[in-house]
Amino acid sequence: MTSIGTGYDLSNSIFSPDGRNFQVEYAVKAVENGGTSIGIRCKDGVVLAVEKVIASKLWRPGANKRIATIDRHLGAVYSGMIPDGRHFVDRARDEARAWRDTWKSPIPTADLASRMGGYLQAYTLYSSVRPFGITAIVAGFDPSQPSPVDGEVGRGPSVGPGGVKEGLTHGGPGLYMIEPSGLYWGYYGAATGKGRQAAKAELEKLDLAGEGISLEQGVKEAARIIYVAHDDNKDKEFELEMSWISDVDGPTKGRHEEVPRAVREEAERLAKKALDDDDEEEGKKDDEKMEE
Amino acid sequence: MEFTTTGMLNEDGIHVDMDRLKKGEVNLGTSIMAVTFKDGVILGADSRTTTGAYIANRVTDKLTRVHDTIWCCRSGSAADTQAVADIVQYQLGLYATRNGKNPTTQTAASIFQEICYANKDRLSAGLIIAGWDERHGGQVYSIPLGGSLHKQAYAIGGSGSTYIYGYCDAHWREGMEEAEAVDFVKGALREAIKWDGSSGGVIRMVVLTEQGADRHLYLPDTDYKVRHY
Amino acid sequence: MFRNNYDNDSVTFSPQGRIFQIEYAAEAVKQGSVVVGLVSKTHAVLVAVKRNAEELSSYQKKLFAVDEHAGIAIAGLTSDARVLSNFMKQQCLGHRMTYGRSMPLRTLVDLIGEKAQMNTQVYGKRPYGVGLLVAGVDETGPHLFEFQPSGMTEEMSAFAIGARSQMARTYLERNVESFADCSREELVRHGLLALRESLVQDRELTVDNTSIAIVGLEEPADAEKTKKKTLRPFQLLDGQDVKEWIDASNVPAEGEGEQSGDGDRMNVDE
Repeated sequence: MTSIGTGYDLSNSIFSPDGRNFQVEYAVKAVENGGTSIGIRCKDGVVLAVEKVIASKLWRPGANKRIATIDRHLGAVYSGMIPDGRHFVDRARDEARAWRDTWKSPIPTADLASRMGGYLQAYTLYSSVRPFGITAIVAGFDPSQPSPVDGEVGRGPSVGPGGVKEGLTHGGPGLYMIEPSGLYWGYYGAATGKGRQAAKAELEKLDLAGEGISLEQGVKEAARIIYVAHDDNKDKEFELEMSWISDVDGPTKGRHEEVPRAVREEAERLAKKALDDDDEEEGKKDDEKMEE
Repeated sequence: MEFTTTGMLNEDGIHVDMDRLKKGEVNLGTSIMAVTFKDGVILGADSRTTTGAYIANRVTDKLTRVHDTIWCCRSGSAADTQAVADIVQYQLGLYATRNGKNPTTQTAASIFQEICYANKDRLSAGLIIAGWDERHGGQVYSIPLGGSLHKQAYAIGGSGSTYIYGYCDAHWREGMEEAEAVDFVKGALREAIKWDGSSGGVIRMVVLTEQGADRHLYLPDTDYKVRHY
Repeated sequence: MFRNNYDNDSVTFSPQGRIFQIEYAAEAVKQGSVVVGLVSKTHAVLVAVKRNAEELSSYQKKLFAVDEHAGIAIAGLTSDARVLSNFMKQQCLGHRMTYGRSMPLRTLVDLIGEKAQMNTQVYGKRPYGVGLLVAGVDETGPHLFEFQPSGMTEEMSAFAIGARSQMARTYLERNVESFADCSREELVRHGLLALRESLVQDRELTVDNTSIAIVGLEEPADAEKTKKKTLRPFQLLDGQDVKEWIDASNVPAEGEGEQSGDGDRMNVDE
């Protein structure tokens, strides 16, 4: 690395002569070693999934959750330095609460992403702090149906409100990925952590931006992609954690929830099967090659 | 600080006690209302402002814009309600520029409520918030003295409203056409003005729909029959 | 001479994305004497070896009660542990006052995790130089958590931290499958056996250097009536109170003896 020894990489917030903040780039390195996290924005919901590499046999199975709920309708997962991720989640919860206090309504996913992007960016500005060693994926479902102001009583006319503009859709699924620099984008499919390259390649095959897939299918794909992304790291065992959010008329009723055990296990079974089939196919290809 | 503690009957009519005004404070002893109708909402108000028995202003505008298609009817202290409306107008303007989209009536109502509740011991403000937005159509929220928030099909407020509960209950219909709703508001306010000593002057209205805000003015000289611009 | 420029503070990432100050703080944990924690379906147990600075000085406490339902074992800088312990006591008390019940263990460890993380991201602060094992019982049963200077907190079935703790962990890993169904006595016994694995040669567990803490759910005396297990509050044992436990752990259990080559060690202290 050309940066080493120049001295410009020793402090946060310092630009190098070619305009880089090395400390932020190093923070990204911390992310690249973490367990793979992904998010899929489906037509009728969002899925989050994370690969939790099991470092010790003494780790209590299923007890250490990595996907956090930010508000009823919002979830987040992250790769990199886990305690930094906890910090991120705590702040995100504060933001969601503050928004509710002010506007008496749930914070839209895009606004939360914006707030958290701003928060992470602030940690690149000062030499007295370091950037976050995480990349976070934030998922949410903004209600498609009008919802009451928090705390209001009473109702409008029973015929419904007059003058609602026809033919408009509102709310829907949202997925954002926020990097240590504070940079964030909206995604159809997002991946970060060690297996992000393989995961991205799989996400790109799904045509999420075009036709799209259902939430149900999304859960299966998410499980499969985590298994594919883990494949290069085969010797280490891992635990799969998944969560999802649907609209109010979907399986989670607009809330961010852990994917039910039965659904997850079925998705894992299919994921393993898909991997085995792939291996077989590759084996065949090799055979063919040998015949050449 | 001195507060009046009872209502009183003077030569100029009955004064319903607002209870929270300081001696000499300008009062919007008032008749205000807002109704939902087929295409949006209509706000209406009389135009009398009093200082005790003295009419400080006979052509007051008690319908205040806080955003393009979100307005409020003010009753209680003129100073308090103007101050609150000013703050909300600023907040909604900020919301629109910051988020690149218009605030909803709900957004406005929640800011109004927060201010009214947090300062409930110091304010005398009875507000009706009415607005139109493309997602929620026309909506009416009422925020009475304590700072609670009520969603309603229509709302009436101010000292004059006490006289027209029966009228409104008898004549109100859901999903009226604009002309019908205007007649309903006008009829109700006429009654309020007739019976309430603290209400009077002209009838003002604002119609909020997808087309924006449309002001109406009706004068007592023409028996409130002709719309003036 | 090559010098590591990236290890002066906790706000500097190395080019590999590491923060050396956090890693160094983790080394401080290894300087402390070993502590072991285990959980079954009904109990959580902490055991520890205490050290004294010199022959005639007293032994440094290793186990602390935090609340009726929870306690900690410490390895590393004791004064840092006291800060965290006081903080945990306050939080538990506050939670009791607000909610009228004990604080869930996950909530408690998340609070210290959050507090410790802050020290790793701000200049002028340093990471805590202590590792903890947090044991306790809440509405979802007994729990054991490991806390690291990085702010990392993880729930474990059993764990050991401190000097030479790898040996204890190896013992625990070998037996981890059996812990869930252990009785209180068996759990303490496993704890002491794990602890013994980590002792330096010629050292042994004595009433002076051993601490035991037990918390769990037990049948009350009038069990027939309620049928419900109630909390056996976090109890610290030191001095003569640990004698019977140490003695019991010296006797091989039935069918043990032959177990994976460490049978001979068990009889050594007789």
